Amino acid sequence: MRSSRAEESVDVRALADEDLVPLMARGDARAFEAIYERHSGAAYSLAYRMVGTRASAEDVTQEAFMNLWRSGAHYDRRRGSVRTWVLGIVHHRAIDALRRASVHSRRRSDDETAAERLEAPERVDEDVARRDEAATVRAAIDHLPPDQVKVIELAYFGGFTHVEIADMLETPVGTVKGRMRLGLKKLHEALSHGAVGT
Amino acid sequence: MSTGPGHDRWADTAGAYVLGALPEDERTGFEAHVTTCEACRIEVDELAGAADALPVSAPAMVPPPALKARIMAEVNREAALLAAAGAGADRPEPAKPRREKRRWFGLPSLALACTTLLAGIGVGAAVFAGGGGKTLSVAATGSAAKAVAEVDVSGNKAVLVAHNMPGPGQGKTYQVWLKRPGEPPQPTPALFTPLSDGSATATVTGDLRDGDQILVTAEPEGGSPMPTSDPVLAAQMT
Repeated sequence: MRSSRAEESVDVRALADEDLVPLMARGDARAFEAIYERHSGAAYSLAYRMVGTRASAEDVTQEAFMNLWRSGAHYDRRRGSVRTWVLGIVHHRAIDALRRASVHSRRRSDDETAAERLEAPERVDEDVARRDEAATVRAAIDHLPPDQVKVIELAYFGGFTHVEIADMLETPVGTVKGRMRLGLKKLHEALSHGAVGT
Repeated sequence: MSTGPGHDRWADTAGAYVLGALPEDERTGFEAHVTTCEACRIEVDELAGAADALPVSAPAMVPPPALKARIMAEVNREAALLAAAGAGADRPEPAKPRREKRRWFGLPSLALACTTLLAGIGVGAAVFAGGGGKTLSVAATGSAAKAVAEVDVSGNKAVLVAHNMPGPGQGKTYQVWLKRPGEPPQPTPALFTPLSDGSATATVTGDLRDGDQILVTAEPEGGSPMPTSDPVLAAQMT
């Protein structure tokens, strides 16, 4: 099924993400481009944060968006926003890349967090909405105990399993799982109630 | 709030689960538990919201314009092919022989060579463990002779996964073809360019039958209605 003439006349930039996805799933490249414009910054930032080099981050971002383009029909708005869907795909592709590159074996030599090990990113000014949101989340993370932040970051950004993290930190598996759960619970509460000092 | 059987064993697991930090067997076990445990289901929903916020904390970066150009070039090519293929694109009709498409496939010796190549490497199919699909071996030749690839077939979908693929050449892209026995190859919308590490994936959907061949050639950007070069990857449905 292809885009109709009526659809071709639609200004896709005025459409909500959730309305762009069905167009994209029908092969509308303009709808895809609008989604790319809105989310590629966050996608590339996440990819870079996880894989740590520009070339790999570009590969991950490209893989993720091509996956998005080819699987738009799989989006289910009941399971979250388009942005969450996009970033979820990026996250999975980045973990695949980390595992392909065997980055794990190089990274587990000490107990730094994955974030501390990444090369200095080329920082850019963030738009106001994203900056505020990012500041809120960073402040909420900063309020967590460091040992909880460490296991959460190693798992999410580093792609490590809780067993690998337990081994890396020489900490019981149950403790690692408990820290992940408690840290996320506190993060959820902080973000839900706005109890974050920004 | 009720808990399901064996809840004590899984009580601390929701955090690791939403972070994607459970090994495969443990993840499967926890997902089975969640279907029977209201407490864990609620906690997974709650913690997933927190995990979804984590990517926002990544330092903001701007993707290079060249990345968008690369992606949009690929997307526009596929969109054009999809549009050209029309409503039947997702369910291709049996191919109608077209003389102009017979470049190398129309030459008996080369067709035979292709068949011999496939037979020579012992194309075989292995049943997936539980997926109901098949994994086909792929013959790599020519400029892609060092590539390692396989095709996973499940239902009417075939996913080509390749590693060590060379670039298709300046101004070119790889294109996937579906060839029925005794018929010329039909173009599919699947065009791809390997990533910098040589890995590549491409997905083909359609009525895949035993005896069909899935072929990959290097084609001019935008793809071709007929092959303009010899196949570098070939797999046969069995």
